[in-house]
Amino acid sequence: MEALSSALDFSDFPRLDMIIAGVLGGLLVIFPATPHSAFAMATMIQFLMFSLYGMGWNTIGGYGGQVDLGKAQYVGIGAFTTAVLMVRWDVPFWVSMPIGVCFAVIWSFIIGYPLFRLKGHYFAIATIATSLVLKDIFEVWDFVGAACGIEISPIKYNPPDFLHLIFKEDIYYYYVILGFFFLGILYVNWFRKSRLGFQLRSIKDNEEVAKSLGINVHWAKIKTYAIATSFVSVVGSFHACYIKNIEPEDTMSLDISILIALMAMLGGAGSLWGPIIGAGVLIPLKSYLKEWLGARAGLIGIDLIVYGAIIMLVSAVEPRGIWGIVEKVRRRKRN
Amino acid sequence: MKKLFLLTLAVCLVACWWITGSPVIAQAKTVKIGAIYPLTGGAAAAGRELKAGAELSAKIANNMMPGLDMDMAKNAGIKSLGGAKIKLIFKDHQANPTLGADLAKKLILDDKVDGMLGCYHSSVTKTVSAVCEQYGVPMINGTSTSPALTTRGFKWFWRTTPHDKWFTKDLFELLKGLTQGKVKGVKAVPEKEISNLASACEKTEWGSHVSSIIKSLAKEYGFNLRKSLLYTAKAPDLSSEVRSLKAARPDVMLFASYTSDAILLVKTLKAQKAKPKIIWGQDAGFEKPEFRSTLRDSIVGILTRTVFLPKVAQIKKVAGQVNALYKGKTGNDLGGASARAFTGVQTWVHILEKAGSTKPADIQRAANAIRIPGDQLVVPWAGIQFTPSGDELGQNVLGSGLIGQYQMVDGKLVLEIIYPFDVATADMIFPFKWF
Repeated sequence: MEALSSALDFSDFPRLDMIIAGVLGGLLVIFPATPHSAFAMATMIQFLMFSLYGMGWNTIGGYGGQVDLGKAQYVGIGAFTTAVLMVRWDVPFWVSMPIGVCFAVIWSFIIGYPLFRLKGHYFAIATIATSLVLKDIFEVWDFVGAACGIEISPIKYNPPDFLHLIFKEDIYYYYVILGFFFLGILYVNWFRKSRLGFQLRSIKDNEEVAKSLGINVHWAKIKTYAIATSFVSVVGSFHACYIKNIEPEDTMSLDISILIALMAMLGGAGSLWGPIIGAGVLIPLKSYLKEWLGARAGLIGIDLIVYGAIIMLVSAVEPRGIWGIVEKVRRRKRN
Repeated sequence: MKKLFLLTLAVCLVACWWITGSPVIAQAKTVKIGAIYPLTGGAAAAGRELKAGAELSAKIANNMMPGLDMDMAKNAGIKSLGGAKIKLIFKDHQANPTLGADLAKKLILDDKVDGMLGCYHSSVTKTVSAVCEQYGVPMINGTSTSPALTTRGFKWFWRTTPHDKWFTKDLFELLKGLTQGKVKGVKAVPEKEISNLASACEKTEWGSHVSSIIKSLAKEYGFNLRKSLLYTAKAPDLSSEVRSLKAARPDVMLFASYTSDAILLVKTLKAQKAKPKIIWGQDAGFEKPEFRSTLRDSIVGILTRTVFLPKVAQIKKVAGQVNALYKGKTGNDLGGASARAFTGVQTWVHILEKAGSTKPADIQRAANAIRIPGDQLVVPWAGIQFTPSGDELGQNVLGSGLIGQYQMVDGKLVLEIIYPFDVATADMIFPFKWF
């Protein structure tokens, strides 16, 4: 009960922030009722998915300062668990998703234990390596479809199938992922004020001091890594039902890991709203630049250049991301 | 006054009928086809070819071109639809299956396309066709060759190209033919000289399927597959893969690669002085103009399977006519990708002509009953006819493949037909002259 009230308590944020967040949250809820294109709906679903990925990354990468570039392996574990259980044994999404989370958490403990002996760049490189190794294993593992992956056949189910999360219209997927999105915000809001959250921030500031205060640094990192993993695995399971065809090269690619970290970093690592802002800027930017410049204007490839330039510009102006810029402006106003 | 009112009403009604029903307005109608291809990324070269091939086909369908010996060129637009024009809406999937599915939804729900075409990468075709199946939108696939695509029981998916089982079988028939002295210009090669194989395939839907087909056919034909590996097409370096292949000491090296990785593979083979007797590529990257222009004479002797070679023009008049138009537009000859994209749009035109409607159910009926004669096509197939039932639902059963070899003729790099043996245009270079 105490945890719930802590999760619902946003009183440490300025009133303006809460008004803006409330309005935007309301807009998200009513978005499907407004006139919109299918492309906008797909973009919104991608935004919510990457916000959740980013929220997960933010717990260990933002609050804990451990740059993890291997999150795609957990997307894969979640996605493949759901797909395999559904295709082979017709297990509903709501059962396969928590099983996927369990597998992902177990794997995070197995690799987290040795990995958190490493620090800084070494840790980042090691996370990339483990992710790529797991992807290679999946690519030769026939049980999970090897390199061809697994297809959840759309003709096997009668949509809307809420048990297996098979829908024809994206509006259903939208509300499912929106539900996870709000739960994710509440969880991270609780997490940042929890004992583990404070421990992690002290580890980020100075690991030696944290140790001297009696914090079990290694265990705190492993626990948070498992939390981050759970977020990513849940969205991975959702991704399997949404796309209906998953293969390691696509689902577990290094691009996904980098994109997850990029969203959170560009939005503002270590803040509650950072990953959401990052996803809210980068996902629509990517989609619409492609549509406007790539498809309509016929400037194929230019969208990628503009996209890259914007990322570089934000990074150069404020390395702490968009949320860092907001805080800087606020500080200036106060002074 | 009453009479004047009735007269005015009658005139208005006639005018309305004329406006809505006249051929002039019907001609303004367009049939929208969504075409999802890889226009950026590692396979952008293929994407450009596919787009150019599809555009040329739509241009011929939309305009009367009396000089061309194909039915599609005899009318301006779809005759049974009052001269409706084909409008292709291109989208770039970047070889990303998730993006492909999103774009398919956009095309279906926002752009309201009447049908779909694409997507080259089998992995993307898989997700796009799943979306089309859900929405009941017909999709013609002209260039994806993973056999699994037509084994899913989809009712809104038809594939014109032959798939990799057929193509790979052609390769093994060629190898068998070499040992039997059937290959033009080559005496019977002792079996033990070409018995050891090694394969490297890119590891998405397409390449991994090719890899498993090679494994099973090697066993069936009695060859010894010493090494079979999968690699990532986006890899910036393939030296360890090539070292691993070399270590197996194969007589024949087999590849399934997209453009940038095919170029990288051959460059690495050259750098490491690999010495196979045969190098064979499963089309795709091995046939792209960029493959030729980048590697130039170092690819002389390399074999590639394909469905179209400029040499086809010698045995098929219509292929020569279309190839001349394509060359005028792009500066390159038609290739396997562009010829099949051309054929994909052409198939759409024939189906729409037969359906006489853009209703999905009518298109479905027409597609299941269509039979396009081989003389209408630029590709050297017996025609196009889809299986309406069975294990390979929607697969064209009249397609066939070719195997070409890069040879230097009068200082120019050309692809000569080596297989089928009866249409071979040159003696095969055997063994492959080492790098």
